[in-house]
Formats: sequence, C-alpha cells, structure tokens
Amino acid sequence: MKHLTSMATGALLGLAALSGPALAQGSNASLTIVREVDSDRYDPHRSTARAASEILFMMGDTLVSLDHDMATIKPGIATSWTTSPDGKTYTFKLRNDVSFCDGKKLTAQDVAYSIKRWIDPATRSPVAWRAGQVEDVVATDDTTIEYKLKAPFSELLYQLTQSFAVIVDKANVEALGADFGVKGFNGTGPYCWGDWKPRNEFRLKKHAAYKWGPPIYENKGAAQIEEIVWRIVPEENTRLAAVMTNQSQVTQYVPYSGMAQLRANRNLKVIESKEAFWTYFVGFKIDKEGVNDPAVRRAIVMAVDQKAIADNLYFGEVEPAYSYISTEALDWNKALTSKLIKTDVAEANKVLDAAGWVKGADGFRMKDGKKLSPIVYGFTGSTWQKLMEAIQGDLRKIGVDLRIQLFDATIAWGKLATQEFDMFGMSFPYISAGDALNLYFRSTNAPTPNRMNWKDARTDELLTKGSSALNDADRAAAYGEVLTQVHEAAVWLPLYHEPMKIAASARLAPFKAHNIYGCGLYKGLDLKFVR
Amino acid sequence: MADATLPAAPARRRRIASPMLRRILRDRLALAAAILLGLICIAAILAPWLAPFDPYNTTRRPFVPPRWSEGSLPQYWLGTDGQGRDMLSRLLYGTRLTLVMGLASVIVGGGIGALFGLLSAYYRRIDPYVMRFADILLSFPAILLGLALAAVVGPGLTAIVIALSIATIPDVARITRSAAIVVMGQDYMEAGRAVGLSDRTLIWRYLALNCLSSVFVFLTLRFGQIILIGAALSFLGLGVRPPEAELGMMASLGRDALFFAPHIAMLPSLMIVMIVLCANVLGDALRDLLDPRLRNT
Repeated sequence: MKHLTSMATGALLGLAALSGPALAQGSNASLTIVREVDSDRYDPHRSTARAASEILFMMGDTLVSLDHDMATIKPGIATSWTTSPDGKTYTFKLRNDVSFCDGKKLTAQDVAYSIKRWIDPATRSPVAWRAGQVEDVVATDDTTIEYKLKAPFSELLYQLTQSFAVIVDKANVEALGADFGVKGFNGTGPYCWGDWKPRNEFRLKKHAAYKWGPPIYENKGAAQIEEIVWRIVPEENTRLAAVMTNQSQVTQYVPYSGMAQLRANRNLKVIESKEAFWTYFVGFKIDKEGVNDPAVRRAIVMAVDQKAIADNLYFGEVEPAYSYISTEALDWNKALTSKLIKTDVAEANKVLDAAGWVKGADGFRMKDGKKLSPIVYGFTGSTWQKLMEAIQGDLRKIGVDLRIQLFDATIAWGKLATQEFDMFGMSFPYISAGDALNLYFRSTNAPTPNRMNWKDARTDELLTKGSSALNDADRAAAYGEVLTQVHEAAVWLPLYHEPMKIAASARLAPFKAHNIYGCGLYKGLDLKFVR
Repeated sequence: MADATLPAAPARRRRIASPMLRRILRDRLALAAAILLGLICIAAILAPWLAPFDPYNTTRRPFVPPRWSEGSLPQYWLGTDGQGRDMLSRLLYGTRLTLVMGLASVIVGGGIGALFGLLSAYYRRIDPYVMRFADILLSFPAILLGLALAAVVGPGLTAIVIALSIATIPDVARITRSAAIVVMGQDYMEAGRAVGLSDRTLIWRYLALNCLSSVFVFLTLRFGQIILIGAALSFLGLGVRPPEAELGMMASLGRDALFFAPHIAMLPSLMIVMIVLCANVLGDALRDLLDPRLRNT
C-alpha cells in the first residue's frame, strides 16, 4: 500500500511539475495562487461566481469594507458615512486621493455611475436586489455621495462590501462594451488587470499608487507582491501537489484529505478563520408529494448524520451544520441553538411510523400506495456525489429511497429552476442572517432561488420588517423569528458549514484569512514573502 | 438421401471440433483468459450470494485498507470505500453492472449494425445511403454521444447503453457489409436465387449465417473497447445512478482518495483491465480459430 501511495504521489507531482514553470523564489516578484474554476467574465455587476469575486476584490474597491470578524463595517473608498433618521438616506464622504489603474482620479460621479449601472435593468445583474430599493444615488460634490432608498435597508452597508459593489470606471465600461470584464477592467484596487487566459490563468499587476486599502490590514500602502498569478488547476490532488512542490504559494482550494500532510510540512502553514459562512444544505420542495409532509422532512433531517459526514468525508475539517446559517453569523437567533434538530435515527423511524409511512418488503416506506422515494437534484463533481451518497445511505436506514440525479453545472442551474425535483443540493455564502433569508425565503424569489416554494405571508412581512429595521435589535428580532419559522418547518437539511482554510508557503508573512463571499485572500494586501 | 447424410453429420462435427478443441487447449493464454473471464462472469452473476455485505450500506468505517495492509479490519477483505461500504461487495456488483452494460451495448449495437450491413450488401441500391449514415455516426465519438444523451435523458445506464450501442453500429455495419459482399459473390447465392428462394431466406439462412463468424470475432474484440468507453463515461459522471456500483464510477470516486486510500480507485481499475484483457485475448484467439487459413494448422 505504501508503494502504491508513493506511486500515486509521484504521478501527481509529475503532473504538477508540468502545470507551469517554477517561480522566482525568495522575492516579492510573483506569487501563484491555484484554484479550481475560472469565471466567465469579471464584470462586478454580472458575475456572481466566487471565482469572479476573488479577482474583483483585488482589482476594485468598495465604499465600505468588512472586517475579518465578518460583522464590523470598516471604511473603504468612503472614510465616513451617516444615515438619516428614517434610514432611507446614506451619505458617504469619500477619500480624495483614490485613482484608477490608468491614473485617472476617482470622483463621486464614478460611484454614482457604478451603483446605477448595478441596478439598471439593462445590465441584467442577477444581484441587483442586493443594492436595496434605490430611489437615486447622487454625487453632491466630488467627494460626497447620497444613497437614497425607497425603503430602509438595514443590510445595505454589508451588501456594499461585496464585490458587486466594486466601483467601475464609466469610460472603461463604455469603451469595452460587451467586452467589459472580459478584455479589461480599470479598477481602483491594489492590483490591476494584467492578462487573462480564460480557464488557464489570470495575471494581476501591482497598482503602485494604491494607499487607500481597508484599515483591517497591517499594510497601509500598495500591495507588496509585484504580480499575482491566479492559475486554474481543476483536479484537487494536483492543487495539493502544486502547493507541496511550491508551484503555488497560497491557495484555499486544497482537499481536506491533504490537510494533515500540509500541517506536517515545515515549508507550509495552514491559515484558518473560525467563521464558517459558507453553508452546504439540501432543500425540500415543500409542495411536492412525500416531502410536503412535515414529518417526512423532519425524519430526513434527523436521519442524516452530519457529524459522520464531517468526519468521514471531510476528515473533521468542516463544521457539521444543524442550523441553516452559521451560529456565528450576524443576527443568528441564539434561542434557536438548543432547539435544532440533531441526528437520531431511532426517533426518525418513530416519526415516520407515527405519520403512517409503513415499511414494505423492500425496506422502503409507503403510504396510500405511494413509495417514499424523493428525487434530489444536484451538481456533478466529487463534492455532491459524495454528499448525496452519504445522505442516501443514511436515508436507507429509515426506509427512504433517495434517488440521486446530478447534472453538469452547464445544465444544472436550468434544471434547478424547474419543479421536477423533490429535493436539491446547494451551497451558498452569506454575511448575515438577513442576507441568507432574504435570498432564499422570500415568496417573490420562488421558483429560484426560493426552490423550496416557501410562500408564507408572515415570513415576507418579517423579512421586510428586518430589512427595513432602523436598529440592530429590531432587525435581529425580525430575522430571528423567520429563522425559527423555517427551522421548525424543516425546510432544509443543513449539512455543513465550510470554514476558510488557506494553505500557504511558510515563506509568506503571517496574514489573516477572510471569509467575505468565500474569498479567503480578500484584497491580499498583507501578502508578502519574508524569506 | 436422409439416411445417407445423417451418419455423416457427427463425423463432420468431430473433424471440425477436434482440431478446434486442440487449438484452444494449445493456446494457453487464450485458455487462461477464458477461465479468468468465466470466473469473473460467475462471480458477477452470483454477486448477491457471494457479496459478504450489502454493497449500498454505508458505515462509519470509511477508507479501511485491504486485508494485506496495515490498519485493515478482518471482515473487509478488500477494505471499504469513502462511504464505509465494503469494497469486495461493491466490486462484485460493479463488475456485474459493467458486464451487463458491455453485453447489452454489444448485442443491441451489434444487432442493428449487422442488420444494416446485411441489407446494405444485399440491396445494393440502399448501400450508399446506409454507408453514408454509418459515416455520420462514425463522426460522433462515443463520449460526445454519451454527453449529449445524458443532457437529454439524464445520466444513467439507459443513456450509456444507447450511446455505446450507437457507437458500435457503424463499425459492425461496415464489417458485416464487407463480409456479406464476399458471400454475395458465391455460387450458392446465385443458386438460391435461381431456385426461387425468397429474399428473407437468402438473407437469413445464407448471407447472415456465413457472415456470423466475422461479426462475432469483431464483437468479441469490441466488447473490451465498449467496457473501456463505458467506464470512461461512468468516470465522467454519466454512468449509473448512485448507489449502484459500476467499475468506472467506483474508480472515479476513488480518485480523490488516491493519496491515502489508493485501493478505492485501483481495485475497480484492475478489474476493468482484467476484463478488457481477457476479452481481447479471447477475441484474438477466436479470430485465429475461425480463420479457415489457420483451421488445419
């Protein structure tokens, strides 16, 4: 077996050696980051993939930034801001020393243009809702922005930290047209667009004039690495080999199976953040036969052993999830923590027995002549394949015959917008309870992303109340009640919260892992080699 | 007449069978391949009785190595996979499904292809159309067909068998046609026509039976390729649905654990290699056996 292992390791190291030339060592000339997938474009208003956000955070800036605790709003382009008593007008005071990569000075007009482009129906931004119900965004002078809303939006500052709120250059957008974010992007971030070879690599060049980074970094000046190369390596073991052979100096995309190896390697370190704001879950379409029975949903949630999934599939590196969002997230309802459904197979069987679902000769349950055999849709790839098989195995123990149907990402999103399935697998990043709940549980968001078809007037009312709350307590109370509602109805089967774990070369100076939209390096301002 | 021919039949059979048997027994490699493939087939057929565990039952003991490795557990001869399922049981069930997939594709694709080839050789006016159709089918790689079918009907055994069958049709059609054209030139075909035999009789009794050996040899060789393409499609996630075990899919699932539990990918891969190797060796031996030029050597 050891021989086989060394053969496999050798093969993978060989592959890694082919993936690219070794980099100049011991200098800050260049740093290579390997990751799994590329984005189709880098337009902040049209790209919602994490792969796009990772680079947009480095190429652009936002009005406000988010601290490592994922809860504290810090200055960004704006040095300060005030909110009107009715919560409808935010006034941002901007820095006067910000410039784009092409040297042009940033003004409030650029900010107003960016927000307006974000919400313009012609832009077809899938995340326009994140900007709130905007009435107008006005540049009252070169350094002042008035952000006027039709209704208060308590999430606004958090949403403005996201990559969708990156400030763009109007001239650049108009010059590039449909190629904006494909052939170029003129931002104000610590790095500038270098060269993009789709599905291969993205080169970013240092923005020498940069000195307006978020105050969460020790480095207050320009980036310390001259060039960052984001390289696509789809296979996870090859990424692991790339880090171990110094072909890549930092990445958050290493398999959990390799964490022990990474930690044992003196040339590497693993940087972790305790916040895990990326959650994997399986949702129920609550109006489909079988899973429309709350007892069935409850029993399914009880039958799945999240701890075993975390231990067996992820080597204990992820946090088993019993809540729909991390209990560390802003506005999590702490009263709910003790009431969460935990794994209990015997109880799950009792719940189904009591609900009239009787086990047949094949071991699967029936009721009124209908077999309890829900179909679940998900994405192809080892993550969901493994997860679904684990869930399927657990559900067999309570007599539920889960049928798994996985699709390639190119067709999966279309399939997930249909009413064909009973359950679906999904994962998502969030910054707060409101962020997650408004996305998934608003009745107007059915059939997607509210694929559960959860349509509840009280939920809608509470979500509106939460998003228009004028203080933290009211917002938390409203969202807390929605959290109680949906958890009690067992609308989701939570699986695990994915923590941020970054493998980095020991030659890199210490830096903190971020968790914003699952982008561990955020702006990368503290990245530098110390030896 | 009948009395005169009847006694001759066993003698003829003996004349042909004895050298064939002698040659099979003389070809040790083919014999070994036949025995091994036979054993694999028997194990696959008897999987429900031979498998020590339920192949779908997940346990809390994932990545257990095989018996010969450190850290193994006595009840799991070949260890467990990433979901804690018994590898031996899954290997038996996986082989069964892989063989079914290969056989079904060879029978369906081979049957349709042979029919096209025979008709194309017999009715020469349809020949150009049938062959151009075969050319069109040949221009689609099986993997591409599988991807397209999986997109339409969803991944699964049906999609994979259809894709592999379609991929088999043009090759078989061409082989059958070339063999049938030679048969068409034989005197007994002309004689059959002269005595007024129907097209149906001529095609089935004379043409098809005389082409059978060529097609059979080709399909035996094709079987190995089919297994490989099927495994590749399953490896890409287009194969059977979980929790069913299929060798290609098992190898794919083991890929992520290659560093620390190589047996999960290696064992099904080895099984694929064995099946394909046996099928190819047997195909070669069968070709030699049925070749009239080698018959009396």
